[in-house]
Amino acid sequence: MLLTDVVRALELTVADTALLVISGVIIALFGVTILFSVYAVALRYRHEQRDRLWADLRARWEGPLLDAIADPAAIPTVQSLVDEEHRLYFVNFVLEFSRRMRGGELAVLRTVVAPFLEEIGRRASHPNSQVRTRAMQTLGTLGLPAYEKHVLAGLDDPSPLVSFVAARYLARAEFPQYGRAVLDSVSRFDGANFRFLASMLASIGPTISPELRARLADSERPEWERAVIAEALMMQREPRAGDVAAEVLGQTEDRELSIRLLRLLGTVGRREHLEAIRARSTTDDVFVRAQALSAMGRLGDERDLPVLIAGMDDDSPWVALHAARGIREAGGRGVLFELAQTELGYAALAGQVLYEEPEP
Amino acid sequence: MSEGVWRLVEVFNYLVLVYFVLLHTIYLGTSLFAFGALKRYALRLKSLDLGGLITSSSAPPITLLAPAYNEEATVVESVRSLLTLEYPEYEILVVNDGSKDDTLGRLQQAFNLQEAHRVPTAELVSAEIRGVYRSRRHPHLWVIDKENGGKADALNAGLNHCQTPTFCAMDADSLVEPEALIRIVRPFMEDASTIAAGGVLRIANGCVVSQGRVVDVRMPKSFIAQLQVLEYLRAFLCGRMGWDALDSTLVISGAFGIFKRSIVVEAGGYSTDTVGEDMELVVRLHRHCREREIPYRIHFVPDPVAWTECPESVRVLGRQRERWQRGLYQSLMRHRVMLFNKKYGRAGLIAYPYFFFLEMLGPLIELLGYVSFTVTVLAGRADWPFVVAFLSVAVILGGALSLSAVALEELSFRRYPRVSDLIRLFGLALAENFGYRQLNAWWRLQGTIAAIRGKEGWGKMTRKGFATASPPEAT
Repeated sequence: MLLTDVVRALELTVADTALLVISGVIIALFGVTILFSVYAVALRYRHEQRDRLWADLRARWEGPLLDAIADPAAIPTVQSLVDEEHRLYFVNFVLEFSRRMRGGELAVLRTVVAPFLEEIGRRASHPNSQVRTRAMQTLGTLGLPAYEKHVLAGLDDPSPLVSFVAARYLARAEFPQYGRAVLDSVSRFDGANFRFLASMLASIGPTISPELRARLADSERPEWERAVIAEALMMQREPRAGDVAAEVLGQTEDRELSIRLLRLLGTVGRREHLEAIRARSTTDDVFVRAQALSAMGRLGDERDLPVLIAGMDDDSPWVALHAARGIREAGGRGVLFELAQTELGYAALAGQVLYEEPEP
Repeated sequence: MSEGVWRLVEVFNYLVLVYFVLLHTIYLGTSLFAFGALKRYALRLKSLDLGGLITSSSAPPITLLAPAYNEEATVVESVRSLLTLEYPEYEILVVNDGSKDDTLGRLQQAFNLQEAHRVPTAELVSAEIRGVYRSRRHPHLWVIDKENGGKADALNAGLNHCQTPTFCAMDADSLVEPEALIRIVRPFMEDASTIAAGGVLRIANGCVVSQGRVVDVRMPKSFIAQLQVLEYLRAFLCGRMGWDALDSTLVISGAFGIFKRSIVVEAGGYSTDTVGEDMELVVRLHRHCREREIPYRIHFVPDPVAWTECPESVRVLGRQRERWQRGLYQSLMRHRVMLFNKKYGRAGLIAYPYFFFLEMLGPLIELLGYVSFTVTVLAGRADWPFVVAFLSVAVILGGALSLSAVALEELSFRRYPRVSDLIRLFGLALAENFGYRQLNAWWRLQGTIAAIRGKEGWGKMTRKGFATASPPEAT
């Protein structure tokens, strides 16, 4: 409206009007970019100030903190060096330090930082999800079990990132009491990578294994969740998971779950599970077939070699590769050596697998 | 000239003005999105425990594919940098693409290579393999020696020998930071639908390199290289970060990007008949997934860094930019079905049109605009408000936008710690608009014309090698 009035009052032509509009946009763009530049200079100034402060604080705290780790009697000394306004800096300093510490040393750090965590506890319910995430990380590393209520509440946070970080810090062997809560929260992370989730569950330690086995057997649970659990059991090398894996393998048609079960059986299975595995060695799915041959190799013996040798001629290079590795695992190095000397199409594959280091 | 022709010139001048305004508005828009995204990312980084990720078993195994063609000056240093990466499980596959220099010999000598078997796991078309080698000293280092076929062909050969679920495409002449791999792989761990992620390229010229690592970040001495530092900051921190915030990443640099192997093989691997195989692959992945209704995400991650040597001569730089533009043209024309096609989501509705009209056709409009503006001024037919508006938008605004890239760098990573570097970057932001920008537009126009004419090939790119702080590892 204002522009129309201006155009009418000044009796501007179309070209002048266009120029006026464009000039307005240019001035606006210019203004924003100038703000950016001023912001850059201000940021540089602020960063340099903060870096100087950090360097001073580090120099003040590092020696006494190392003394406290060596002798816990020195804990009050290091705590007395923390001013009111630098409490958060101190928590961040200890958090950074804690990444290099384990066991008793970490326990000392938790004691040192305990009086300063109250503010972090308040930040666990901050409106900004990134601040809450950081609070979960800090409390999860330095504040358990005192702040367990805050971190456990983080599992139900509306932000997936906050709940994810909370779960990662609760999933630790030193705090087995939180294992079940973490396991219950897994259904929230259905978009995450299998391996990532499985690794998190495995890190809870052996106390969670019976619950993992029970949930793997529970056909009411989503198949992707059971696949994650199977992978976690494989990472834990849980020896009692073989029976339930073989049983579930006989019931499921789900591709991902079948693959994870076969990987699990290949790691912890026994010879009596071979029948369930063999049944999958002729399936149409390339990756299920490959895992089946791999598991057969690990559990089988010379009697399984003909199937594995035939697998080396499979149309899929993945099946052939797993079959060849299976032969090696089944004690067929001699067979591979002989195959490598032939003119057969898979002679090179035999040579490659002989040369490889066996998987751990 | 008749009045009618002048009228046309005047209209064209205004169209050019509109083009510049539109271009800068989009630049500023992506910068603002990038600003928000980088602020969030900076906070996110604080809650990342990289050490924990490196030692956990959750990171997917990765194969690094590093094609090398006539890289004898830098290849050993680059491979050494790859060997120092902090990542739980990875293999390095250097593909010697029929180098005419001593690339293979240098590798053999430095890493004690011996012949080995490695059977292909895919059948992407590539030139003949001459030999496969494995390092005695570093068992996860492999070298594939093949006939020359170009970078895409070399990547396909590497992909055919890749045995891990993800692979990282890179240049054999770039230096990847030790934590870069664990940083760039994070989207794959957090989101199972991730199929690709790109990292940041920074200019290594002038930096001090020791044992394959950049140990002291410095601005290059060469003015041409300094200008490229600013360009890279703008391209990655303003451009790619902004497009990522809009979930419309169309480009992942061929020098440092990570991909899900199965989907790339399924989509046919790298295209060997374009010089912009990196962009073409990403655009094709968008198409592939959208057309098959495969859920997918393509990310840009701003903190994993690969350092690369940039051209310091105008001639080599011109060839590089001409080639980049040809690659852009070939990628966009091949997938023009995506233009304003809602089937392809934001990539088709926002990013593709931007690249098509402003990046591909932009140089032509820009250069014609300079000519037309000059003619108008010389003929005395330009009124001063138009002259001021044109110069503001064509020169000053461009500089101001470059300043915003410097601001984003300050906000996020601050890799150039010296105050003198900041001042120099400010100066460059203004200086680049007087000649360099126009030269760039000229090279890009040449690239578009060459692509229309069907020119192929990469052109010669010479490397000086990195400035090392210590003698190379004894062989």
